[in-house]
Parts: sequence; C-alpha cells; structure tokens
Amino acid sequence: MANLILRNVSKAFGTTDVIKSVNLEVSHGEFVVFVGPSGCGKSTLLRLITGLEEVTDGQIIIEDRDVTYLKPSKREVAMVFQSYALFPHLTVAENIGFGLKLSKVPKDEISARVKEVASVLRVENLLARKPRQLSGGQRQRVAIGRSIIRQPKVFLFDEPLSNLDAALRVVMRIEITRLHQNLGATMIYVTHDQTEAMTLADRIVVLNEGRIEQVGSPLKLYENPINRFVAGFIGSPAMNFIKGTIDTDDNKMIARLGPYTMEINKPNLNQGMEIEVGIRPEHIAIVSPEEGILTAEVEIIEKLGVESMLYLKTEASEELLTVRTDPKHTIGTGDRLGLKLPESELHFFDQKGDLV
Amino acid sequence: MVDQVATLPSSREFNPWPVGIFICLLVLACLFLAPTIGVMLSSIKTTREIAEGGLWDIPTRLFLGNFVEVLANPAVHRYFLNTFLVTVPATAASIALGVLAGYVFSKLPFWGSNLLFLVLISGMFFPPQVILIPLFQFFNSLGLIDTLWPIIFIHTALGIPICTLLMRNFFATVPNSLREAAILEGANEFQVLTRVALPLSLPALAVLATLQFTWIWNDFLWPLIFTQSDEKRTIMVGIVNLKGQYSVAWGVQGALSLVASLPTLIVFLFFQRYFIKGMTMGAVKG
Amino acid sequence: MEKSAWIWRVVFLAAPVAVFSILVLWPLFSSFFYSFTNWNGFNPNYKFVGFDNYAKIWTDRLFLNAIINTFVWMVAAILLPTLLGLGFALLIDSNVPGGKVFKSIFYLPICLSAVVVGQIWTWIYQPDWGLLNTLINFFLAEPLNYPWLAKPDTSLGSVIIAWSWQQTGLSMVIYLAGLTSISEELLEVCEIEGTSTWQKIRLVLVPLLTPATVVVIALSVINSLKGFDILYIMTGGGPFHSSDTLAMHMYNESFKKYMMGYGSAISVVLFLLALVIIGIYFRELRRLDEIYG
Repeated sequence: MANLILRNVSKAFGTTDVIKSVNLEVSHGEFVVFVGPSGCGKSTLLRLITGLEEVTDGQIIIEDRDVTYLKPSKREVAMVFQSYALFPHLTVAENIGFGLKLSKVPKDEISARVKEVASVLRVENLLARKPRQLSGGQRQRVAIGRSIIRQPKVFLFDEPLSNLDAALRVVMRIEITRLHQNLGATMIYVTHDQTEAMTLADRIVVLNEGRIEQVGSPLKLYENPINRFVAGFIGSPAMNFIKGTIDTDDNKMIARLGPYTMEINKPNLNQGMEIEVGIRPEHIAIVSPEEGILTAEVEIIEKLGVESMLYLKTEASEELLTVRTDPKHTIGTGDRLGLKLPESELHFFDQKGDLV
Repeated sequence: MVDQVATLPSSREFNPWPVGIFICLLVLACLFLAPTIGVMLSSIKTTREIAEGGLWDIPTRLFLGNFVEVLANPAVHRYFLNTFLVTVPATAASIALGVLAGYVFSKLPFWGSNLLFLVLISGMFFPPQVILIPLFQFFNSLGLIDTLWPIIFIHTALGIPICTLLMRNFFATVPNSLREAAILEGANEFQVLTRVALPLSLPALAVLATLQFTWIWNDFLWPLIFTQSDEKRTIMVGIVNLKGQYSVAWGVQGALSLVASLPTLIVFLFFQRYFIKGMTMGAVKG
Repeated sequence: MEKSAWIWRVVFLAAPVAVFSILVLWPLFSSFFYSFTNWNGFNPNYKFVGFDNYAKIWTDRLFLNAIINTFVWMVAAILLPTLLGLGFALLIDSNVPGGKVFKSIFYLPICLSAVVVGQIWTWIYQPDWGLLNTLINFFLAEPLNYPWLAKPDTSLGSVIIAWSWQQTGLSMVIYLAGLTSISEELLEVCEIEGTSTWQKIRLVLVPLLTPATVVVIALSVINSLKGFDILYIMTGGGPFHSSDTLAMHMYNESFKKYMMGYGSAISVVLFLLALVIIGIYFRELRRLDEIYG
C-alpha cells in the first residue's frame, strides 16, 4: 500500500519552475533516496512534502490523507536537517522530548520515552548535555532521536550526513540503515552523494532540473540507466562516454568512434545516427594493442589498493577513458594498450540523451 | 486504489495574524510618534493657540513666525557654528585614532594587545561623570575653560573606544593574505593601511562618521561644564539657555528643537542603515 | 621584519593611547585622588581628608536618596526598554508589511538629543495642555491638570518613561539583529513540531535571544547610570530631590556646591557600580558563548 503519493506536484518561485510535475508513489516502509546535482530541486521536493513550502500545483497524499495544504505539524512527518537544527539552550533530553512537551504529554511519559529513544540511538549518557558539548555524530543522533520519538508516518532526511567527516559518514550510514530496519518506517532521504544513495536506498529517485529522470533500485539504475544523465550521474568513477556515428560496412552495422570502428548488432539503430556510447570503467577489457578495437596510451595511474584506475588517452574522445583494473598488473605510465568494448556492456544514447 | 484515497481535500487556512500584528504596530507607531508630532505641531502654531489648548488640533494654517524668529536670531547662528567647530574635528580625529589603533589590534597583534584593547574599549561603558572633575581641573589649569578646545579633545578621547572596536572588527574581515601580498610587493604598514585596508573599510568609516557626528552634536554634558559665555555655547546648551528668553513662547521653543535636531535627523534619514549597524555592532560585540 | 613591525605598532598606537590615557585613564585615577581631598574646585591649597568623604556618604540623606533613585531607574531600565524592544522586534520580525517603516519610527528617538527629548516630554507632561493630561481629561468630567514633573511622587517615573521612549529603539534593533541570526532551520523545526505562536516565543525565540537580552539589559543599565542630560532638562533632580540620581547628585555637589572632593567620592561609587555591572556583563557573555557559540 502506498504511504506517500505525489501527484503532478509542481513548485515555482516567481517565474522559475523548480519542480515540474513530479509523480511518485512510495510504499510503506520503503527507503527512498532523492539524488541529483545541486539545484535539481531535491531539497525543494522534500520541503514540499514537509509543508515548509506550499505546492504551486498538484497533490500530496500521506496515508490516504490529502495533506497538500495542511500545516507541517498536521502532516505527521519528521525531518532531520543538515545542520542538525538542535536548540542550543535545551539539553539533549529536552531536545528529543521537544515535540512531546509541545503536545502537553505528561512529564513522566516524556522522560520514559526519551530514555527509550536515547537507548535506541545510544545517547543515554549524553541526556543532560547541551548540543554544543556534543560531536557532530552525536548531534546527528540526537536530531534523529527528536524525529523518531513522535512516531511519524514519514521520516525525511535533508542531507543529514554532509556536515560529518568521511569516516563518520560511513558509520552513520550504517546506523541509519539499521534504524530503518528496526523501525520499518517510510524514509525519504535527500543527498547529492550518489554513494550514499546507492548504499542506503531501496529505491533511488534521480532528479535533474526539477524533473524525475529515473526511479528504480540502485542496481537497476546502475545497470540499466534509461538516459545519458542517469548513466553519468550514478556510478563512481563515472561511466565513460564516446561520441560516434552509426554506419554500415559490408552490410554489417558498425559504430564509428573517432578513427576506430566496431561491429555492433543493434536493430533499432539507423545508419547515419549520431550516438554516444557509454561503458562503465570495469567493463573495458585491456588487451594487446594489436587485438584491441581502440588503442590507448596510459596517462595517469591511481593505485587505490583493492583496485587501480587507469586514465587513458585515445583518439576516440577528448576526455580520458577511465578503466578499472586489478592492482597487480604491471602497466606503467606511457604504455600503449589495446582496449575491447564488449557489446553487451555498451549503452547507446541518441542525441537527446535517451537510451536507444 | 490510489484514486480512492483522495478524501478530505484540505483548503488553505485563513491566517488572521498578519492583520492583527499590523494594526497593533500601527497603534504603537502612532503612540511612539506622538511626542515628535507634538513638537512639529507646536512649531507651526502661535503661542496663543497653544496656551488655549489647541496644540493637538489639526493646524488650519501654516504659521512660520516661530521659524523666522529662530532663524533670525544671531545667537542661534553662533551656536550652530560652534557645534560644527566641535563636531567635525572631533569626529574626524576620533575616527583617525580609532583606525590606527584598530589596525594594530587586528593586523599587528602582540603579547598583551588584547589586554590593551580591553582597557581602551572599556572606556565606552563608564559614566562620563567619573572623569568630570579631574578633566575640569586639567583644562582649568591650562586656561582652556570657556573655549571649545576641551570639548573637542574630550570627544576625540571618548570616541576612541567605539572607533577602535568597530575598526578592529572591520579590519579583521580584510584577509591577511592581502596585507602579506602588499608587503611582499614592498609596501610598508602605513601604505597597507591607506592603500589596502582603508579602501576596503569605507562602510566602517561611514558607520563611525554617522555615529560620532550624532553623539557629539547631541551632547549636552561637556559643553555645559566647559562653556560659560554665550559666545562659546553649542546648540544643545544654547537651546536650554534660550528657553529662558522664550519662556512661554512654546512655538519658538518647538521650532528651536526642530532646527537644532535637523542635522542629526538628516544624517538619520540618509545614513540610517549605517547608524543602526554601528549601534548594533558596537553593542553586540562590545 | 619583527623589528619593523614593532616600530609600526608604536607609531600607530602612540597617538590613540596617549590621548586616551591623558583624557580618560589619568582622570579616572585622579578621581580616586580627589575623593580623599576637600578640594573646592578653585583653591589650590586643598587638604587630604582621608576617608572623610566616604564616611560622609553614609550620613548624606541625599546620597542615599540618589542611590535608591538610581536603582529604581536601573530596574525600570531592565524592564521597560527591554520588554518593549523585545515586543516591537517580535512584531516587526513577523514579516508584517511596512516593517521597515515601523522600525524607523521606533528607532527615530535614539538620534534625537536628550535635550530635545527632555523638552518634548516636558510638554507631554505639561499640566494645562500637555498630551497626557489632554488624553486623561478626555475621559474625565473635571479637568485633572496634574503637574507630573512638579510632584515628587511622579517626577522620577515620568522622566524614566521619557528616557525609555528614547532607549526602546536601541533595544529593538539589537533584538532584531538577534532574531535574524537565529537559524532558519530551527524555526522550521518549530513548524514541523507544531508550536503555537505563544509556545514558539516562550520556548524557542526568547531563550535563543538570551545573548541579545544580556546585551540589551547591560546597555540599558549602563545607560541608566549615564542618564543625566534628560534629568537635568526635565526636573533638574527635583522637586525636593525626588528625581536625583547618582550622576545628578554628583553634579550638584561638585558644580553647584563646589564640593569637588565629595563629588569625586560619589563619582568613585558610580565607577565601582559600573565596574560591577560590566564585570557581570562580560562573565555572562563568556558563559553564553559556550552555549550559543
């Protein structure tokens, strides 16, 4: 059953359309991540769901209730902010119990529920402290605590980890996943970091310029991006793109990539079509220069330990090609290599950027 | 399934708060303006109209006799001239000294400079009465009583705390790398100050100029203590003195107050932003 | 490099430090000195009288009167401009149309001279045609014509209200600056958690404005100690010393009665009072800095 439905939701600030007719259904207990470059409208979309911004057009439904014009507090949502947004004058316990105090819950009950929440988030021993005396990670736990105590219908996270350092971010990511498993609640999470999106999400919503580009599971987006934008945005290091044209040679379909040609078998491509070919770094095979379809020269090698990244210069494109390899190879800078692009791993995009 | 759920279409709620707040503010604003408006009304009414209880009536005609009386009075001209002779040099001197000190505290700190800074700015907080008697004695021994010099000097000195504070805070926003780059180019500290730091701190100078001008212009205590003859009075002491001359001429007194406040009102109207910024900065950081 | 830096420090600091020392610091210490003498302001042959001036303070009925009035003024300074300034700031901050105009109106009095403010309010309290009595008479059958400034019961209060009228704008802009520095996200938390307007003010805004409140109170109290001009204009400390404050009393003793030695002793008390207030102020600022950053 759907827990949250967005129907033709649009938002304009003045004459600028920030969200352009977004449709989305989120099921009960689902973890959905909004991801996209800065300015894509992902935070605005989140604020529309909370009610901090009012929609220009469309409808928002939470648990069978039309909340489009309801005040944020009536929507039974909770939000965790990027800056944690803890009240500096209140202790951890008072911050967590803030919402309960507002709704005049008896004091004993507040302190009992605060303790319960604090133990879930392992901040029991910090209850008497003020936010300024906490580390970034602790503050974020308290902020999460404040949001879970009211048992809202939907949890909203607005880039909650971006103020933390890299190591802590990994820890908190796992914490949030665990929290999601324990509570089984619907969570919507906004981030610009696609690694966070991939690791946390049941489903990812890729946003760009106020539109949904694609919705799907992390693996589906990784393996079957439906357009050039999603292909380029999801995955790190990013997919390689090579511009080319479709041609025929001896009745066989070929793709011309710069000076190189490769035989392909794609019935829905027409001769003369301008295309862009995408391939993930781990799918490019290194062979001897004679065997390869492309020849390349190694410009930079990044040794990451578990793998190595090669950045190769080819005549097919201005950009360097990225290839992910085993770290035990003996390739050095300046070496000439041959490359093979397995057809099954290629993504073809037309001039509009759509998958062909 | 999805189509069934769209029950309870909620509509936008009417919010009565802004209207209530606006009316509330309007009433308060009228109350707050009433005293000022009273003076303005008095200045365009004849003494008889006021004495008969007509001060708060809407004026039926514009009576300018009060202003004519004030502006034609040679004593008023003298007061104005004296006040300018005090205000302009004291404003300029206190800012100049504040710039020098502020630059050192922000860009050339040294061991103990924080303490010295605290000592300097603490001068802002003490009631001036604390130093009244020794200063009177000091300028008396120099034979400067009943001249404008003590007032100029004292306002220069009393302006140093606020000027140093604001200039230090403004210079702190000028990146150190700019100073270092200029020094690598061969500039000395004075050139860094005048060619790099000051041009970037023009807003701070505007803030200080408006603040100091207003305070010194409006001051009453120091000219009261140090001037005795009518020739040396500044405007604020002057209008108190003229009150005797126009004891029941309420309208003239009103016109006098308005004319005396005119320079600061003009400064307030045109430089309000700087004025408020200076007040809050001085207060909050102090 | 280090050596030339020292030359510049000395060159830059020489003038400001010299002027400040001669005209502020040295007189401050001289006040202590004179407070132990019976100097009358003219006669160079004054004598040291030890603690006589300080002993006199405790028997001087007018001094005790002045110090009580000063404390009344300080309490009023904590209440009136602070509460009014907070109220105005909260109203204006609610995005009301014309907010800037209202802000200017409430702020305007601060740029007026105490002399002018004193005169304006003297007229408001004028018994026959003053605004206050005009308003009161509007509701009364018989004209009241109460001389507010000429009665010992109301003179001090009347001056304090006039002074607060001028001071409120300053409190208001400090509170407004405080309100703009509250993070947008904290206010959004309030919206999501569903605070009522009153809860938001009581539980969130006022506590978050604590640093501004400390500044406003400190400033009001310090300014109340400095308050002299407006008193001088409106009541001159009278009638019957009913509106005498420490600053006024000090002026009278020194420049009316020419008891400069005794006047100095009063100014030393004034100084110590200011010192205590400033001490509390800085301690509070440091404590708050640990909470609010």
